[in-house]
This record gives sequence, C-alpha cells and structure tokens, in this order.
Amino acid sequence: MIRCAECKGKGLCGLPKCPIMQRFYALTDEKPQSEYMGPSPSIFIGSSGYPRVVGGPLLLRESDTPTDWIARGLGMDEIVGIRSKTIRGSQPVKNVLQKAQEVALSSRPLDVEARFEKPIRYDLSFDGTVAPIGLCGKLSHVSVLDNAVVEPAVDRYTSDTEVLATEAASALFLDGIDVYRITSLLTAGLLGSKRRFVPTRWAITAVDDMVSKDLRKRVERLLPLQEIFVHSALLYGNRIVVLLLPSPDFAFEMIERWQTNSLWGGKEDVVVVDGEKRKKQRYSPIAGAYYSARLAVLEYLAMTGRSARVVVIRDISGDYWAPLGTWVIREATRAALKSPPVPCADLQAGEAMATALLGSSFWQGRSELIRDLRSQRTFADFV
Amino acid sequence: MLKATIDADTFRELIDAISALVGECRLHVSESGIATRAVDTSNVAMISLELDAAAFQTYSATQTEIGLDIAKMKNILGMVGKNDPIDLELDAEGRKLSVSFKSYRYSISLLDTKTIRKDPNPPTLNLPAVVKVTGEVLNNAIKAASVVSDKIAFKIDPTKPAFTMIAEGDTDNIKLELGKDEIEFVQVAEARSLFSLDYLKDMGKVIGRSNLIEIQLGIDHPVQFLFTIAQDSGRVTYLLAPRIEAD
Repeated sequence: MIRCAECKGKGLCGLPKCPIMQRFYALTDEKPQSEYMGPSPSIFIGSSGYPRVVGGPLLLRESDTPTDWIARGLGMDEIVGIRSKTIRGSQPVKNVLQKAQEVALSSRPLDVEARFEKPIRYDLSFDGTVAPIGLCGKLSHVSVLDNAVVEPAVDRYTSDTEVLATEAASALFLDGIDVYRITSLLTAGLLGSKRRFVPTRWAITAVDDMVSKDLRKRVERLLPLQEIFVHSALLYGNRIVVLLLPSPDFAFEMIERWQTNSLWGGKEDVVVVDGEKRKKQRYSPIAGAYYSARLAVLEYLAMTGRSARVVVIRDISGDYWAPLGTWVIREATRAALKSPPVPCADLQAGEAMATALLGSSFWQGRSELIRDLRSQRTFADFV
Repeated sequence: MLKATIDADTFRELIDAISALVGECRLHVSESGIATRAVDTSNVAMISLELDAAAFQTYSATQTEIGLDIAKMKNILGMVGKNDPIDLELDAEGRKLSVSFKSYRYSISLLDTKTIRKDPNPPTLNLPAVVKVTGEVLNNAIKAASVVSDKIAFKIDPTKPAFTMIAEGDTDNIKLELGKDEIEFVQVAEARSLFSLDYLKDMGKVIGRSNLIEIQLGIDHPVQFLFTIAQDSGRVTYLLAPRIEAD
C-alpha cells in the first residue's frame, strides 16, 4: 500500500523522485541569472544530508510571510508564482551563516548583493512542511547592504546564551513575536544555550511544538469553556472544522482526510487520525500539520482564557493542488477560530454540526477523544 | 517552618508516587509529618499520601503549606546518588525550599499555594470487594494489557473466588486469572469495573515497587489502591475513576 498521505514527498516509497511532486516541474519563466541585488526576507536551510546541509539567505523581491499572503488574499497559483521566483543558495551553510543570521535577525527584509558561481537553475521543490522554493544556485559571495532592524524582545533573547531555546521561543511568543519570526531565528541558530543552525523544515515543527507545550501548561490552569462550540473555515481546498469541548484539561485530536484524487489521496479516500491525551507519544503520522493546528488551537484557548478538549478535522479536496507548507493549516485553523462559533447544546449536536459543516460523516466513529469523553467517568460522577 | 533530613531513596519514592499523577501539589507540613492530596487535571485520578516524621532521619516542623513543582523536583533528584542524605529547609518567608545533598545546594522557588487547585474532596465510594496482591503481579498485568489495548477490566467472581484482569483490543485480547494461591481475598463480593490504562501505566510503575497492594473494587465504580512506602512509615492511596462503555 502506498501511503502518500503520511510521507508527503519525503521519498519513503523508494522512488528517486516523488511522482506527485514531479507534476510541478516546468512552471516558471525566470531567466537564468548569475547575480542578484535586492531584498532577502528570510533564511532557508535544507534538511537533506544533515549535518552537512546547504542553505543560506532566501532571495526574493516579495513578502515571505504567509500571514501577508493571506491578508492580500492571494490565490494558490499566485503563491506558487511568488515562490517559484524565490532563490535559495545551495552552498554549504557555514559559508554564509553569518550573513544569514543578520538576515534572520532583522524584522524587515534586508537588501543584499549576491553572486552565484553559475547561473541559477530552476528546481521547484515542495515538501509539505516548508513553503515551496523555485530556484537554486551556489552563492559565491553575499554582502548585506542594510542594517538589521531588531525588535527589543528578539534582541534580548538572541543575546542571552543561558536561556534554553524552548524557553526563549515561548518567551518570544508571549512577547507577541509571531511563530514565523521565531522559526527564522531558530533556523539561523540564534536561540538557545547551545547555538546551532536548524534545517527550516525541522525548525517549523520544533517552534510549533515548543510554543504549544508552554501554552498547554497555561491553558490547563484556566477555567473550562462554558459550551460546546464548532468553528469552521476553508482555505485553498482545506476545510477545517474545530470542535471545542469544555473540559478542565487539554486534549487534542486531529483527523485528516485526503479525498479521492486530492494531492496525496490516490484512488480512494485516505484518513489519518492522531491525538494526545496527557502527553504526546512519538512523532505524529500527520506530520507538521498536526503541530501547526495544535498551536493555532492552544493560542486561541490561551487568548480566550478557557480550557477545552479539541478535535480538529481537516478535509482536503482536489482544489489543494500543491503542498504549500504547514502554514496553510496553521492559518486555516486560525481563520476557523476567528469565525463566529456555533454553540451546540450537547456532544451529539456538536458532532452533527461538524458533520453538516464538512458535508460528510467520514470522521464520525474515528475520534478516540470523543469515545473517551463518552466512556471515561470522573470523580464528579461519584459525589 | 520545616527542617529535615531524609534518605534520597525515600524522598524519591515520595516524589515518584506524586509525579505519576500530577505535576504540582500542595504539601501540608505538620509536627507529625507531611501529607498531600491531589487530583489530575481531568479529575479522573487522585492521590492521597501521608509520610510520618519517622520516615525522616531528622525532622522538625510547624504547621504550614507549601506549593511544590513536582516535575522540577524530579529533575533535581536525577542528580542525587542512591543513599545520599538530603537536607530540606524552608526559608523564613516560606517562599523557597533549599535542597542540599553532597556539596550541592539547590534553592527552589515554591509555587504560590493559591494557584494550585484546592484539595479535592474524596468521592463517595461503594467498594465491597477487597483483595491483596503483590505490586509486581499487578504491574506486570498492567504492562501485559497495554500491549493489546488501552483499557483493562478488573473483575471479582465471588463463587470461585477469582480475580480476573481482561484487556480487549481491536484484534487481540489478554486474560489473567488469579485464584486463592496467588492472591489474598480479604472481602469477597461481586465486582467489575473498566479502567483506562493510560493512568494505570503510570500508577503501575510506582505500585510495582511495593510488596503488598490492597485493591478495593466495586461495580462500575472507581478502584482504590492502598500501599505503603518508606518502610511502612508512609501511606499512599490511588483512586482511579472507571470507564463505562455504552455500546
């Protein structure tokens, strides 16, 4: 059985190149060039061959922040268009690490001047976690023309070499620094007591996880939500339904369906379920999306000051034709939680509402969390 | 006020017993010893624990309450050798606890007791069946069950009498039946309840070290485990609410 929905292009099937990813080749019109002069909004480090990995500053004339793309209402083809013009350096990271750190430190894109050994070539790569990148070339020289603009909080935690990366990440988040910025800082090796650069793909999930763990502790001190609420949103073919179930503790479950003929779906629907009760065991089979959705949910609970158990259902149709990165799920879940909630009288009504919003009952009976809620008694039942 | 010396192993037993269920707790200190009662965030598992002054090498205290970050304490104990004596001393304001062993001296900030949940009221229980079994037998049964399932049923058949543990998974199941030879029937009555292994696994690690566990069981009721720690100078009670499968 081919389990594309769990692998998402990592190459677990053993084929030299992912056949699904192959569809995206030959999509760009960028001219081969061997010099670049312009802004560098962030940093990218690959994960293949770690610790001998390639990467450096990302060269791109437009915004690199997913929240901007959503605010501007860009479509998927426009995002793929922007990303296919993005150039990543394919030289060993250590050659350009210092320059990359300067770029990562700055809250606004810095102007850089870069020269490549050979003209850049087209190499659009998608990988499910990281936003796609179109062009790559070996940088022979980079110089930063601007001065970095650094927020006070970022300055404080990047200068502190005693504080652990986990603590620094959650402290930055509480100071209002967005996870996209924190990811950049972690990637560039600017956080923690033992500084090292982290491949972008790993840093994204690491930041989601570190921040969530801290938020979870805070959420469990809060009072339970008063009512069952259902939220929903649709983003690029991803229908997200969030079921919030009042409880003094936090528990999370994600149910993901790749519909027939969707990106990773194949010839039939694929449903992947994963969850956590008291603690998370092993890495999630849903991969980075699980951690991104959990972050969005915990962020919402911490903000509203209520605790709950949460089921996130993600239904992916064929409209999601290219994997854009886990930010899609983070932003879709955030969007869902911003939408007006539908209050439900009881669990049954909540389930029915979720099914109605999804237009399908594929998820019912698959939720371990709901089964647990029905069968587990508490001491409150024995007064 | 609290000033005491305790053997590292005994202190570790105490902390392990609490940390199996909660990450922080309110510790009641008095002249006669220390005690705590705490429930996990889901209100499904409860611990009550008493440790007599006799468990300590030296002990002097007056009535007070402290909020302890159990998870942090557990990490600190990783540094302590098996039989090192640990000195505990509460500062004058009751804000910090100093923990010293060998040449190390930790000063640990205590939690504000106001931020910790109030001591839970024990539920009303009707547990007619009582058996005694070694901690190892119970822990092994829990470990065996968790291979095939996430829940386990405890049953007592008064006719034989027999104590049965059954775990049913999606495809596999496991059954362990203990008769008079392996287990002591203190009070025989019909009982059967189903429990989540998620909690039992953590309790089992602590229970497994004890020589004798008293299990009190009812019908679709919480289970109560009673055992002693620190060479019988400490008593622990674990309570776990049941699952009731409606199908």
